[in-house]
Amino acid sequence: MSEALLDEGIDNYAASERFTAAEKIALRYSELMSVKPDAVDANFFEELRKYYSDDEIVELGAFIGFNLGYHTFFGTLKFYPLFSPDGRLVSQAESETIYGAAPTSLKPEAAE
Amino acid sequence: MSHIAPLPKEAITNPELRALIAEGEALGVPDDLFGRIVARAPEQAVPLMRALLMSHAQGHVDHKLKEIMRILLARFAGDKYFASLRSSKARAMGLTETRIDEGCYAYEDDSKGFSEAERCALRYADLMFLDAAQLDKAFYDEMKTYWSEAQIMELGAFIAFHYGMAMFMRSLGAKAAG
Repeated sequence: MSEALLDEGIDNYAASERFTAAEKIALRYSELMSVKPDAVDANFFEELRKYYSDDEIVELGAFIGFNLGYHTFFGTLKFYPLFSPDGRLVSQAESETIYGAAPTSLKPEAAE
Repeated sequence: MSHIAPLPKEAITNPELRALIAEGEALGVPDDLFGRIVARAPEQAVPLMRALLMSHAQGHVDHKLKEIMRILLARFAGDKYFASLRSSKARAMGLTETRIDEGCYAYEDDSKGFSEAERCALRYADLMFLDAAQLDKAFYDEMKTYWSEAQIMELGAFIAFHYGMAMFMRSLGAKAAG
């Protein structure tokens, strides 16, 4: 796992050749639950079931819901990682300048 | 019916999970459907059920207020499952449907009689997923005039967790039996 792959998984997974079809639909589930929940319908579940068992879908869905809630909450608390990308222990003020504002993936237009 | 079929109760053999499902049924939130669905992911089911029950029915914030906040969040999430469930404990403490609706839709109205502390907590739930940018330093400073930092963490974690689980159940198209 690399930062480049993380960014591609967030910003460009649908068009990327670095993700399998199963990975792409799991990423789409996480995106849609947050920003376009009406699109998570029976047809979407039919597609999910081509790649995942019902047990795996529950694992994914609960994981996504948990993270959806907590990342928003943590975002309001304005705390930032204790370490810089190169491993230095940094102040909250410096960390904020390094890591910046909310992830663009949480913006509604990301699912368009 | 949910997109994912819940496990039959008799298929759930973990005694801790069975006890938590029974605890939820006694409280009314969640009913057995949530436990029987998350039982499909057994490593997650026990901590999820425990967190759901503890964050709602225990802690140092009034349970009736948290019940209103929970329903406000479920309604905002568009989740018919959690929005339709009611805590028997909150009902026994005197919480009515009228008060729930007032707390969800009119808590800022002076005539409804919510305290400043309750209004601030309800605003916290209202804004978290509507416009989190408003939950800034000034908002947290106001929260601190009514609530301890421990209570704010209790409320924030409660809001985050229950909204997340409401969105999860919405994604499954789940509806309560009753």
